[in-house]
Amino acid sequence: MTTDWISLPLVALPLVSSIAILAFVAYASPAARERMGPSIRMATLVFSLLMLALTTAMFFGIEYIEGTLDWASLSFGSFNYEFRYVWIESLGIHWSVGMDALSFPMVWLTTFLLPVTIVATWNEKNAAVYFPLVLMMGGALIGVFVALDLFMFYVFWELTLIPMFFLILKWGGYDRKYASQKFFIYTFTASVIMLLGLVTVYFLQPENLSYAGAWTGRTFDIPTLTLHAQSANAGGAWFLGESLQKILFVMLMIGFLVKLPSVPFHTWLPDAHVQAPTGGSMLLAGVMLKMGAYGMFRLPLAMFPHAAEHFQFALMALGMISLVWGAIVCLGQTNLKKMVAYSSVSHMGVILIGIATMQPLGWAAALFMMFAHGIISPMLFAVCGAFKHHYHSMEIGAMRGMAKHSPWLATSMMFAWMASLGLPLLAGFVAELMMFLALWHFIAAEGWSVLWMVGPALVLALTAAYYLWSMQRTIFEGGDETQPPESLKGQAVPDIGDAEKLAMVIMAAFTILFGVMPWIALDMMNGWTVAFFETLLIPILTGGA
Amino acid sequence: MEQIEPFAEGFVLALAPEFVLVIGLFTLMIVPNMGDAKFRIPLTQIRVPWLFGGKRGKLDSDPRLPGLFATVFFTIAFGLSAVSFMGGMNKTQIITPGGTTMLQIDEFSRMFELIFFGALALASAASVNRLPATSRADRSLNGLYNNRRQVDFYILLITTGLGMAVVALSQDLFMLFIGLELASFSTYVLVSFIKESKEGTEAGMKYFIVGSVASGVGLYGLSLLYLWSGSLQFADLSVAFAENGMEALPLIALGMLLVGFGFKVSAAPFHFAAPDAYAGAAAPVAGLLATASKAMGVLGLLRLLLVVASPEATEGSAVWLVALGVLSVITMTWGNLAALGSTNPKRMLAYSSVAHAGYMLAAITAIGALNWEEGHVDMSNDAALVVVTALIFHLTVLVCFKLGAFLVLSLLESEKGGHTLESLGGLAKRDPFLAAAMFIFMMSLAGVPPLSGFVSKLLVIMGIVKVALLDVTVNSDLVFSDIHWVWYLALLMVINSAISVFYYLRVGLVMYFHEPEEGREGPLPKGMPVRFAIIACLATTIYFGVGANQLIALCEAAANALVGAW
Repeated sequence: MTTDWISLPLVALPLVSSIAILAFVAYASPAARERMGPSIRMATLVFSLLMLALTTAMFFGIEYIEGTLDWASLSFGSFNYEFRYVWIESLGIHWSVGMDALSFPMVWLTTFLLPVTIVATWNEKNAAVYFPLVLMMGGALIGVFVALDLFMFYVFWELTLIPMFFLILKWGGYDRKYASQKFFIYTFTASVIMLLGLVTVYFLQPENLSYAGAWTGRTFDIPTLTLHAQSANAGGAWFLGESLQKILFVMLMIGFLVKLPSVPFHTWLPDAHVQAPTGGSMLLAGVMLKMGAYGMFRLPLAMFPHAAEHFQFALMALGMISLVWGAIVCLGQTNLKKMVAYSSVSHMGVILIGIATMQPLGWAAALFMMFAHGIISPMLFAVCGAFKHHYHSMEIGAMRGMAKHSPWLATSMMFAWMASLGLPLLAGFVAELMMFLALWHFIAAEGWSVLWMVGPALVLALTAAYYLWSMQRTIFEGGDETQPPESLKGQAVPDIGDAEKLAMVIMAAFTILFGVMPWIALDMMNGWTVAFFETLLIPILTGGA
Repeated sequence: MEQIEPFAEGFVLALAPEFVLVIGLFTLMIVPNMGDAKFRIPLTQIRVPWLFGGKRGKLDSDPRLPGLFATVFFTIAFGLSAVSFMGGMNKTQIITPGGTTMLQIDEFSRMFELIFFGALALASAASVNRLPATSRADRSLNGLYNNRRQVDFYILLITTGLGMAVVALSQDLFMLFIGLELASFSTYVLVSFIKESKEGTEAGMKYFIVGSVASGVGLYGLSLLYLWSGSLQFADLSVAFAENGMEALPLIALGMLLVGFGFKVSAAPFHFAAPDAYAGAAAPVAGLLATASKAMGVLGLLRLLLVVASPEATEGSAVWLVALGVLSVITMTWGNLAALGSTNPKRMLAYSSVAHAGYMLAAITAIGALNWEEGHVDMSNDAALVVVTALIFHLTVLVCFKLGAFLVLSLLESEKGGHTLESLGGLAKRDPFLAAAMFIFMMSLAGVPPLSGFVSKLLVIMGIVKVALLDVTVNSDLVFSDIHWVWYLALLMVINSAISVFYYLRVGLVMYFHEPEEGREGPLPKGMPVRFAIIACLATTIYFGVGANQLIALCEAAANALVGAW
């Protein structure tokens, strides 16, 4: 491969061009900004569609892109479209990008969500600033997924905070100041602890691995570190020793669990979601939460598998608590968006359970859940946003008999709700089914109590309950006798606009596509998981046998 | 190593940046005094223009003239230092005829001169449009006095620069103290330069009293050291410490000197004057205190703790290890907690600078933890190099974003704002560029990537962690308690920087979220020099974060000159 298809088109250009647009717009008068809005919006849409075209072409491995055709059979530790430039030579820091079957679905998902978000929030106010911020967010998110260098990973990890902070702050709800601050501080605190863990790992590696810094003799290169950890972990030995490996595992996991978020650290999420604008919520739930799960697979699970096995119970418990607690809290919500936010917490619990099973099937379930939730949850939030936009309220009781007044919105809502509760033939179902199978298999194999199945079974019922109940109260109840809510002040009830319809249809279509033909994405996820287990986990955890 | 006696061949060339400042000093004294005075040759009617005295012309009585002059001279001095640093460094010592080394010109001192002159050039550029032409409503003396006040201000800035340069170059504790005092006395006056305001006078008074007490204590320690060893040369003192540094006298002296330098870096128990001084001083001066003056203190600490009281004196680790560790923890925590509660942005920045002092002390502590017994020295030097590089890098980029933040406040000050957080309200609407710049400075202070503040914090953490893991053998029997306790300093540091996000973000919230205060809806004053300085700060803040490579190499060369001398 001779051309770097990732750095410029997928990461640097969106970031640089959006910053340039923002700088340019900052000095324009409000009227001029208003005039520039539509063209900037169109420019970001075209740009994000080009990015989507590129990643889609990468999926098919079209020869112009010089791609390796096969994502599924990529061996562990090798990457497609890999490129490396020296960044800070003395410390062994490289601008190093590449994708494997773990990161590629996430990158594709980001490029898919960008145009969808732009279309779904087509009429957002202050367009000249909003759409560049969305594009910047996309560039930073892709940067996280393609980074193969710890420094670069951390830089983009933190960089995602800034556009999101401004999206919440400028376009958010009444309590946006509190929410944006809480969001920033929570995740920043967690990630500086992660940073200290990363630096500690950096100095505990032996000197002169490949891509080492000229001066410190250590490297930040993720594949190199992973391979080194793999050999150091082999044969039942603990890389860095038992106590240190556990502590470093915990330090890294704090950063990722807060981002995911898992239950004791989840309180920033409902606040951020409720206050965030629709576009912010869509990207936040669709991709940003997955950064946490992605980071777990990439770093702590790959480097510290012994510690992961040691903390298996804790991870499983956290996952169960997130799953059940999120669902229970959903039942009590009167705010539509808050309910959806807590349902995200619940679904992230599924990912954590999948990881904690330490089974290939469970991991593949987690990976597919990341992907499926990345398509479904933006649709949930798009519905919430449309609801808020048209009925000026987020309360579940604010609008009744929506099926009569705005059929398009009612249909979209019903579809999204059904997808999220795991209706067969939709993408969410596949992930949940796989997780169930993995959990059964795990319980049977490891001899854990069958009571562990109670939680997921209960949540199936609870999820159906809160979704159906909220649907019944908004869409159907009241029927023909209902009047438009008071907040509309006597105006006729509008239905959603054409742009919103288009976005809903696209998201629904892909939910169905990945529900009916999950193997499109699942093949490569399976391939990655199997390679991970065969090369890394099984030899290590069975003591080199 | 070349050795030159004063005014021997090559002397002026070796000290070119300093001589430029001296020339600048005289220029500032002479040029604004030039007039049309003529001298009549006795017994004739011939009048020869004599220039000194008489009615001044339009150009030399321009109130902006001294500021422009000072900026130009600082820039020339900066350029000369940079040329001598990067264009093949030639190590030179200035010795007395008796053979005592007074000053040494090497990469380390040049790097610090770059920091000092850079900060001073930015500060003087930022002050050009700020000072009112006359101090009082009474303008009867206008014709005579209309730029005298500015001249005083910039003369003081230049003497500050000269003092700092001497501190950077000194090889002798006495020279170091002379430079320190020259710089300190100039800053005392600078802080209270706006003598018409109550805050300014009070701030200057407090700063002066506390500062002179600290200097006095330090000077007493210095005299004790002299009593003990009979020399104030760094080289001699270092040998004396290596032989019998555990005696009571040098330890007491060391403690006293720590007080003196602790005040300069505003370390915790000696920081009380700092918030008042920063709040009362004009913003560019406060910015100088937080950057150049702090760099001077750190430079003194490095010389004192690493060169003079070299840890070889004791078994294993340095004598001051625990004391400095405790000091650093108190400093960073206190600074951050106090900053949380301050509503005056300048006080907030002052406390944040206290917190940064804590981070730097933690880094110096880490060097003290090195095991200096035989066999470890090579590796130790390597680790010490990382820490010293991190410190120099931190001090350099501090000039970019901390001074930059003060310069933004300085623009607000010229419309009588900048004393409450609320006066920043609506800045995003009033001046989007300034608001964005301020936000980036705040993010850089908090250590958000990819800005230079992040790289500097990362380097400091890396330095500490590297030292903490030095004696650890990596194998599967490694236990966590093998790690040296300085690792916890790094942990406290990251927790502290998480706390600091609260108050840095608050500035951003006020700028982007609050409405402007009444009477502050219009655009900000123009002030081209200040804006130019802010743009320079902003560009370097971003550049040294994204492309840190070159600066790290420079800092490494500088650190090598200090560490390699051990």
